[in-house]
Amino acid sequence: MNALRDFRTRRRLAVDAVVVLAAVVMIFPVYWMFATAFKPPGQVLSLTPQFVPWPPSTENFTRTLAAPEFLTFLRNSLVVSLITVVLSMAVAVAAAFATVRFAFGGRRTLLAVLVLVQMIPGSAMVIPLYLMLRDIGALDMLPGLVLTYLSFVLPFTVWNLRAFVAGVPVELEEAAMIDGCDRLQAFRRVVLPLLAPGIVVTSVFAFINAWDDYLFAYVLMRSQENYTLPVWLVSFSTAPQVDYGETIAASAIFSLPVLVFFLFLQRRLVGGLAAGAVKG
Amino acid sequence: MALQTQGAVSLGPDRGESREPAPARDRRSRLPYGLVAPAVIVLAVTLGYPVVRLVVLSFQKFDSRSLFTGEAPFVGVANYTDVLADPAFWAVLGRTVVVTAACVAAMMALGFALARALTRTSAWARLVFVVCLVLVWAMPMVSAALIWQWLFQPQYGVANWMLTQLGVFGDLTARDWFSEPGPALVLIIVLIVWKGLPFVILTMYAALLQIPSALYEASGIDGAGAWQTLRRITLPLMRPVLAVLVVLEVIWSVNSFTPFWVLTQGGPSGQTTTVSVYAYVQAFTANDYGAGSAISVITIALLSVFAVLYVRRLTKGGEVA
Repeated sequence: MNALRDFRTRRRLAVDAVVVLAAVVMIFPVYWMFATAFKPPGQVLSLTPQFVPWPPSTENFTRTLAAPEFLTFLRNSLVVSLITVVLSMAVAVAAAFATVRFAFGGRRTLLAVLVLVQMIPGSAMVIPLYLMLRDIGALDMLPGLVLTYLSFVLPFTVWNLRAFVAGVPVELEEAAMIDGCDRLQAFRRVVLPLLAPGIVVTSVFAFINAWDDYLFAYVLMRSQENYTLPVWLVSFSTAPQVDYGETIAASAIFSLPVLVFFLFLQRRLVGGLAAGAVKG
Repeated sequence: MALQTQGAVSLGPDRGESREPAPARDRRSRLPYGLVAPAVIVLAVTLGYPVVRLVVLSFQKFDSRSLFTGEAPFVGVANYTDVLADPAFWAVLGRTVVVTAACVAAMMALGFALARALTRTSAWARLVFVVCLVLVWAMPMVSAALIWQWLFQPQYGVANWMLTQLGVFGDLTARDWFSEPGPALVLIIVLIVWKGLPFVILTMYAALLQIPSALYEASGIDGAGAWQTLRRITLPLMRPVLAVLVVLEVIWSVNSFTPFWVLTQGGPSGQTTTVSVYAYVQAFTANDYGAGSAISVITIALLSVFAVLYVRRLTKGGEVA
């Protein structure tokens, strides 16, 4: 038995080693982003890279934040993403509720369409959306950008909320109605509070989808004061002399909220994914 | 686009134990229509109209003059025949197929190996790995592409320094990978795989956990070896999940735009262009919106094969019941 136990221990150690090695390789680019961002500007471009930023410096960050346009782009990104989330949530909760709780003609078609449209490439959608916004004179305007974001955020939002609506036992709703609530009250007092976590999670994902968009903002926003952060970041990197300290620090600032959101949602990402997502 | 990370995949709570209750049976009620109406109206404006416009555009001659005069004569299928007769399109399509196949194959193979490792590793190593995966998953594609550019920067990038230190490939301290089509494509594929792996690993891991351990015990008693267990138990039970992952990853890889655009803009001289970039370039750089639309419609038609497979899968699983 001892030999077997030895073999098992050794095998587990080998697996641990592989997993840790994979973790190091995977996380390295993310680490390198923060390591570069925290270097004193003189150390960023060195022929022998320094793996730990020592002494750490926030100068790259202060320079990024001091760029006069930065706050404008941050505000544009925030406003566009938040409005997109609020608008799509406002219509998605009702639609998700209806497609889970009611049988009605066209329901299956609607659901199939919701999935299929998420497969359309952004580079295909951007052509007609560009011409459409041009026709109504909404090119280079933030509300126009919100309109285009709804085209991919809304289907995702409805689809994702459905799983959460289905998780609310219909019996609770029925009980509330027996107790004298009408349908709307039952929804407001019973379903909505239970749906709150789902709404938060879905909102975070919807926010990230809009926050991360580059293509639409790049094509539709022409004047610099309407750029969002991704457009600005990329324009940074195509400048003839790239200031990597500043570019990477800006990327770190841009990524940080998303990294925090995801860590916060980590449990849900790992645990509840398979059955809801890809059960076959 | 941004959908790359989540797309149509539901991230809701586990629906394994609490099945979706049968929808209420009041078929004549108008309430459900009232509830979906706002969403349907928004979708019709932001999605329905543009898709129709895209298809119409693909039959029109729409160039930079049309932008100002508003005149766009119908030209029948001329855009399609022009695109299909252009050897450049076939080169782009071939490249897209190769890039997609490489991305999906690498993601599935690495994903499966690492998901299996994840089920066998110690709790602390699992936690470390999962946190790393979640962080990589969370990285915005724009930031990731910029970091790639920095990692592989010719003089000061850490990758060239490491490769030179290895000493196997000689002195690489000034090699500009993104100026050569082959290496540029490889690095873009590595970026897409790196960014896509967390989703694949975590999905496969969750699916592996759902295989009852009794099956493994039984096969062990019956004397099945590791390879047989893998082939006869693990892979067949994982098939639905694997199929859905392949479909999703094919679609996401073909639709991928940002990594190509940020790192090479499809160059040098169009040699790293895939269909997504090609449609964009035809429309917005060459100002041939008709051709760009035709390329997009062809791409969507090819992808819809995969999309329909995916919807079938979901329908079978009761998701779209």
